[in-house]
Amino acid sequence: MLHRLGRAALYAILAVWLIAVVFPLLWVFMNSIRSSQEIFENPFGIPWLIVGSPHADNAGIPAPWAAAKQNFVAAWVKSNFSSFFYNSVIVTGVSLAGILAISAMAAYVIAKFPFRGNKAVFLYFISGMMIPAQLVLVPLFFQFTEMSRFLTRLLSPLGLEVQLHDSLSGLIILYIALSLPFTILVLTGFFKSLPGALREAGIIDGCTEYGVFRHIMLPLSKPGLVTAAIFNFLGLWNEYLFALVFVNASAKKTLPLGLASVSIQAQYKTDFGLMFAGLVIVMVPTLLVYILLQRQLTRGITLGALKG
Amino acid sequence: MQNALKILCAALLPVYILPGCDAVHYTPARSGSEKIIEVAVFEGGYGIDWHQKIAARYSDMHAADGIRINLWGDPRAVEKIKPRLLRGDPPDVLDLFGFPVWVLIGAGKLSSFTGALERPAYGTNVPWRDLFIKGTLDTFTSDGQVYAIPSALSAWACWYDTRMFRKHGWSVPKTWSEFDDLCKRIRAAGIAPVAFQGKYPSYAWNTFVALVQRCGGLAAINRLNAMEPGAFTGPDVVRAARLLQEMALKHFQKGAMAMTHTESQLQFVNGQAALIWCGLWLENEMKNSTPPDFEMRCFNLPAVEGGKGNPDLFCGEGAELIFVPSDARHPEEAIDFCRYLVSLENAPDMAKSIGVISPLKGAMPPAAVSPTLQSVLEMMKDGPGIFTCRLPTLLMEWNNQILNPALAALLRGETTPDVFCRRMEDGVAAARANPDIVIPPYVPYDPAAFGEEP
Amino acid sequence: MKTRGEQRVFIFTFLAPALFLFTIFVAVPSVRALGYSLRQWDGLSTPKWVGLKNFITLFKDSDLFLVAFQHNLFLMFVGGLLTLALSLFFAAILHRRVRGASLFRVAFFFPNVISSVAIALLWVLLYSTTSFGVINSLLLHAQQILAQMGVTWPRIDLPFPFVDSKYVIYSIIPMMVWTATGFYMVLFLAAMENIPETFYEAAKLDGASEFAQFRHITFPLIREVFTVGVVFLVIGSLKFFDAIWVMENQQPTSDSHVLATVLYQKVFTEYNVGYGSAVAVLLFILVFFATLVTLRLSRKEALEY
Repeated sequence: MLHRLGRAALYAILAVWLIAVVFPLLWVFMNSIRSSQEIFENPFGIPWLIVGSPHADNAGIPAPWAAAKQNFVAAWVKSNFSSFFYNSVIVTGVSLAGILAISAMAAYVIAKFPFRGNKAVFLYFISGMMIPAQLVLVPLFFQFTEMSRFLTRLLSPLGLEVQLHDSLSGLIILYIALSLPFTILVLTGFFKSLPGALREAGIIDGCTEYGVFRHIMLPLSKPGLVTAAIFNFLGLWNEYLFALVFVNASAKKTLPLGLASVSIQAQYKTDFGLMFAGLVIVMVPTLLVYILLQRQLTRGITLGALKG
Repeated sequence: MQNALKILCAALLPVYILPGCDAVHYTPARSGSEKIIEVAVFEGGYGIDWHQKIAARYSDMHAADGIRINLWGDPRAVEKIKPRLLRGDPPDVLDLFGFPVWVLIGAGKLSSFTGALERPAYGTNVPWRDLFIKGTLDTFTSDGQVYAIPSALSAWACWYDTRMFRKHGWSVPKTWSEFDDLCKRIRAAGIAPVAFQGKYPSYAWNTFVALVQRCGGLAAINRLNAMEPGAFTGPDVVRAARLLQEMALKHFQKGAMAMTHTESQLQFVNGQAALIWCGLWLENEMKNSTPPDFEMRCFNLPAVEGGKGNPDLFCGEGAELIFVPSDARHPEEAIDFCRYLVSLENAPDMAKSIGVISPLKGAMPPAAVSPTLQSVLEMMKDGPGIFTCRLPTLLMEWNNQILNPALAALLRGETTPDVFCRRMEDGVAAARANPDIVIPPYVPYDPAAFGEEP
Repeated sequence: MKTRGEQRVFIFTFLAPALFLFTIFVAVPSVRALGYSLRQWDGLSTPKWVGLKNFITLFKDSDLFLVAFQHNLFLMFVGGLLTLALSLFFAAILHRRVRGASLFRVAFFFPNVISSVAIALLWVLLYSTTSFGVINSLLLHAQQILAQMGVTWPRIDLPFPFVDSKYVIYSIIPMMVWTATGFYMVLFLAAMENIPETFYEAAKLDGASEFAQFRHITFPLIREVFTVGVVFLVIGSLKFFDAIWVMENQQPTSDSHVLATVLYQKVFTEYNVGYGSAVAVLLFILVFFATLVTLRLSRKEALEY
């Protein structure tokens, strides 16, 4: 009897937390399809899209479908969420490709080739994990200026100038460099777990080292690559500090940066619907990726937990 | 299948690579002989529509010379340009505030307008300098060089709705005790007396400065501006702090301290609060949310009984300052655009479009402005001039770390006026002792010229 | 045939990109940060060597740096302890095969994948003092119900300004716990699932209660992972930036600053690069030592089974 009460209590607590987690997200989704007027009248109501609008005969109040469309169009087009989204896709996509490629190459060599200084190189990369991003933030800012000036001087005979600030490529380079320690750590672990005999077999069969890497090792390390990709994706898509410092032009802002600046503007114009629509645009990609790939993600954390 | 994927990836490669190479551009010289002047504007209460209209007109006028204005606005414009100034790649014209101007002046990073001021203003033969109301050019002047041009005049006043006042039979207070009474009567009528933009305590600063002048006269303001020892702890200043705190504790709207400026101003225009202290941008900033029959007017800070200050003076200065960084790509053209922006030709239009008072003398026929602004001109009419306290712009660190938190604490009732004044005094003393802070010499106001006892 | 030389080339080409990028964009700037911290520089004119003056100013600046550091510590201990306790609790419950465990596991992790900026904005809305604020409305209702029952507690003035600079650091704790619990729960759950079932069966035979089983079997055996979790929390609370920056509209006061926001404001707002770099160097030292200490403390007993 006490046991069953205890069980019920546990379920209750779990349910409370579930509501606490899900309700705000649901609230944001619901409010993104309601007009600002509707939200102002009742911040927690069910969207008129579902229950019908009490102002159906009032031409001044937008119809439910129109309101929903209005919010997202305002966010996507007028507030430039489309360009924020595009920038985030480019930056995250290219960075991911770069991170995985470069880290896999380095991790493979570290894991499988006992050359002199192997351990030192590994520790060199891993020590990067101890370096908080804030330490390198300021020097990198001035370094980018120096590099831009230097490269501009190099390229000016060609009529070109280089400005690493306010550019997606600058951000990409930074993201790749800063993600190397973690990814190399993860991938080295994975490569180490693959048997060395595979490589020897491949070489005997006439493969080059590059071939072994491309055709044998890479495919086998897919779980590790996927895990690293998911973690990096989540981190990069949501990254704010570096984007804030290195990107000032509106045209080049990524989603978190754009959301932050728009929310301040929405404050000026008190357009709530817009704000919620923007929040939805920011939240949906990562939620989708998570729901679709949560098994790999959990597996990645599990394996990470095992390795300690 | 594998091959198809490979071809797809290869085809998509340019999609990845090309945008990823956006760090490299063609130099403007190569892309054509067009000179693009970049103008960054703070998009706040006044919006940027008028500025864009002027920019477009200027571009049209100078299209033959290949000059084009690229004007953009943002409420957070200053956050965007601060890093750009640091990396030597700023816009050509800055129409905003909140960056460390004196540091830039000290490092030689701002262009001087002095040369342009000596020359004739746009559209006349009179030197540009002579057109400005006395005191408006002084904010960022050092060593005889003027580093900032005001495009508007700022004044601090108390706003109210004459409709509400008529309905309840209230009248504009002429003294501080009348003001106190008025607030009590407002509260009794079930309305919050004073709305306040609590999340930004600096909104109380100008009210405080005006109170200091009312209590201690321009002499007290001079002492503050000169950073004299004991300037903040004099009895007049402490009294001003006490009056400010009393108003906050007795008459501020409940929950005001957590409200942003838009939230509290919304409360004001919706009639939940009767009064609000604010600058001249209030009407324009709230124009989309103000009910159509709201009659926004203002009155000057009332006289304080037993105070030494002339109650006709008002707290104000040259506002909406424009700067030209020395790292700008086209400094001369930038300065020329500023000449056009702040000219007799454009002043009345500016007033009509965005409701500002021009810093140029005689540029504003009352008929050109809204009834709200007419009340401002009324307020200014009898006054011999304006005064301001330069400390917040001069000492940014002091402003952020001492002034704002101290004000917030005072308004919440967590500290006494004495402690508040002492905190400010100590902060200013520390700044004075700090050899790294540049303090330009101060030219004091002449109390006699402003109708006060010396 | 493979020669040593060719293999050397192979190793070099594969390591070169990573080495190049890491050295230029991580290693070199880290060292330069130290250089900046020992100089006085406004980012515009020429830097001036001042030795440890920035650090001394830092520590004497009791209004800003020390207070900000206290805020980080507050987040670390209060937020960290709450998160660890809750996540351990949930992991323990879900581990003992509650029905629908996988649903809970997936759902609780949601907040972790959302941008910290979005979460901060969401909580600003939840905390609002106007009609938006769920939390204030709930508290108001609770206060009214309690008043009807004759209880005058809690005696606070509603609506409460949670997002006011003075209180925002406290208000961040629920947000932090809400976000992080899911992650640590998944982490601990994964570790718990490694424990052989036989241990629990033996304990049940011996008559041990659920709680005793947790204390003597579960917790000791996930100690390593728990330590990793603690290290993450410590580092995370030292680097905390996004939420405060957004909630304070990019203008924190000394009541709401944390180390990272002090860094940003000093360098990019006040153009005081030396002071900001000193903060960065100190932050690095703190992270370094916190990691070392936590690892050392856990090294005492590593349980094998």
